[in-house]
Amino acid sequence: MDDYAVGVLTNIGLFGFLAISAYLLLLAGEMSFGQQAFFGVGAYSGGMLTAMGGWPLPLAVVAAMLLGALAALMVALPTLRLRGLYFAMATLAAAEMARIGFELLHWQVELEGEQTGPDGTQGFRGIRWVLENGIEPGAYLAIIWLVLAMVVGVVIALERTRLGATLRGVGEDPELAAALGVDVTRFKLGVAAAAGALAALGGVLYAHHNTYVEPRNFDIMLGVHSLAYALIGGLGTVFGPLLGVLVDIGLLEGSRVFQGYRMIVFGGLVALLLVFRPRGLLDERTVIWLRRRLSSLTPWR
Amino acid sequence: MLADLVQNTLDGLAAGSAYALLAVGFTLIFGVLRRVNLCYGPAIMLGCYAATFVHLSFGAGLLVLALVCVLASVLAGGYVERLCFAPHRKGSGIAAMVASFALWMQLEEVAILALPKHLYPFPALYDGKPIDLAGFTIRVEALVMLGAASVVCAALWWVLYRTRFGIAARAVIDSPLAAELSGISVPRVSMGVFALASAIGGLAGFLVSASFEQVTPMLGMWSTFKGLLAMMLGGLGSLPGAVAGALVLGLVEAHSQWFLGPQLRDLLAFLMLFMLLAIGPRWMTTR
Repeated sequence: MDDYAVGVLTNIGLFGFLAISAYLLLLAGEMSFGQQAFFGVGAYSGGMLTAMGGWPLPLAVVAAMLLGALAALMVALPTLRLRGLYFAMATLAAAEMARIGFELLHWQVELEGEQTGPDGTQGFRGIRWVLENGIEPGAYLAIIWLVLAMVVGVVIALERTRLGATLRGVGEDPELAAALGVDVTRFKLGVAAAAGALAALGGVLYAHHNTYVEPRNFDIMLGVHSLAYALIGGLGTVFGPLLGVLVDIGLLEGSRVFQGYRMIVFGGLVALLLVFRPRGLLDERTVIWLRRRLSSLTPWR
Repeated sequence: MLADLVQNTLDGLAAGSAYALLAVGFTLIFGVLRRVNLCYGPAIMLGCYAATFVHLSFGAGLLVLALVCVLASVLAGGYVERLCFAPHRKGSGIAAMVASFALWMQLEEVAILALPKHLYPFPALYDGKPIDLAGFTIRVEALVMLGAASVVCAALWWVLYRTRFGIAARAVIDSPLAAELSGISVPRVSMGVFALASAIGGLAGFLVSASFEQVTPMLGMWSTFKGLLAMMLGGLGSLPGAVAGALVLGLVEAHSQWFLGPQLRDLLAFLMLFMLLAIGPRWMTTR
């Protein structure tokens, strides 16, 4: 595989985490414009732990995910009582505050004669744990996709349990779910924390892929893209958001055919697609139909 | 100190009147559609790019440019309405919002392809010196902006409260179902209100471009953000509220920019919105 293909595939994997994070909240009936903030929290905290603190990456990943969940809880606690658009705007405001926070963050230490650490709008250079430990881009790609596969596996397993049914129930009709004995607010807090941790996981891996992050990476564009990924791909299955990422980064950015016109094609396609499939390509109905087809094709079941 | 406060207040009111035009347009669209049009700003930006294009090609004067700006914004707005909002009238708000974001990306790229430099000069609204009044500088552009905002608000009031179209529009805003049952064509009224809002936005875009004497692709995001912020601060869905929210936003920004710098200015604006939503009065967040 050439470097370009590895780069594109790595990006698909990395933004896949963010798209799944937006997807989980959409299932719970909440539209967040702020998941990019937790992606940023993961990138900055993970990068600081490995580059400045000398932590190994796996430990930094765990810490970054905890921080991402914590940050998501801090945003969700005062805002979850809000409905629809108000929640979207509150998460947008929180995420922009986080981005400006990264711009104001100046904390550098001297390591081996070099200043390392976040330097405001100049960004944060030298997140080199992956390079220094001799992990090739191809191997790092494999690690990212392995982690993503684990996440997808966990989400699929959870969606088959009572928890998954509750998640969709809370999203479809919170009053009904509450009447059935679900503590809707607490449940949504849990979903928000999980989505925050997931975004942070993507962020820390992203920072170690790029070795450099800056506040601008985590602006509103990233957040709306992740929402769009989940919605284009479809809300019927966890493969939906991944399909959304694949369509945007894989098909359009990766193919270079539409160079210069990528956004004109993508924008028009998405708007048209949503006219005919307002819940995405792999919406609930399609997923159920596919499942039936698949199970009729497997005679041993 | 006192002089700074007065000067900042004047500057804030001028910025606030530009925000007011944007917020009023946003509120009109939200009122009839109950949807947020993320592509509102980018449509305005495209209008300003069309005007810049006309200016560069034919050297047209300000009045023509204003007309081009408004017309092109209305056309771009109509395109957005047809593709993002008309098909989702009864369906999902999220789909409409994401579709409008997709068109935002599209319009931005159209503008960049048509005029690829990052920044284009726009003819100045006023060439002369600012007015000096008792030691305070008052930019003539600011006065024009304030005047335009007042005239637009008054005209809008007249349209909404003194014409048949206005009665129909208010009926739709109040309850689309009741309006439909009483024989009002909701899609047509929505389309009309959308065009009206886009025209107001186009005018705002023209005034902003001409007083900053430049256009960049960032104008789209800027207009959407400022309009949305002002509308939310004003309590969403109320026109006087939107104007009040816009003026508050302008004043807070002008003062905090002076005393705290541009980064903390933006932080403060978002903090204000967040606090208002998180711990503000309940009636503001249940419309």
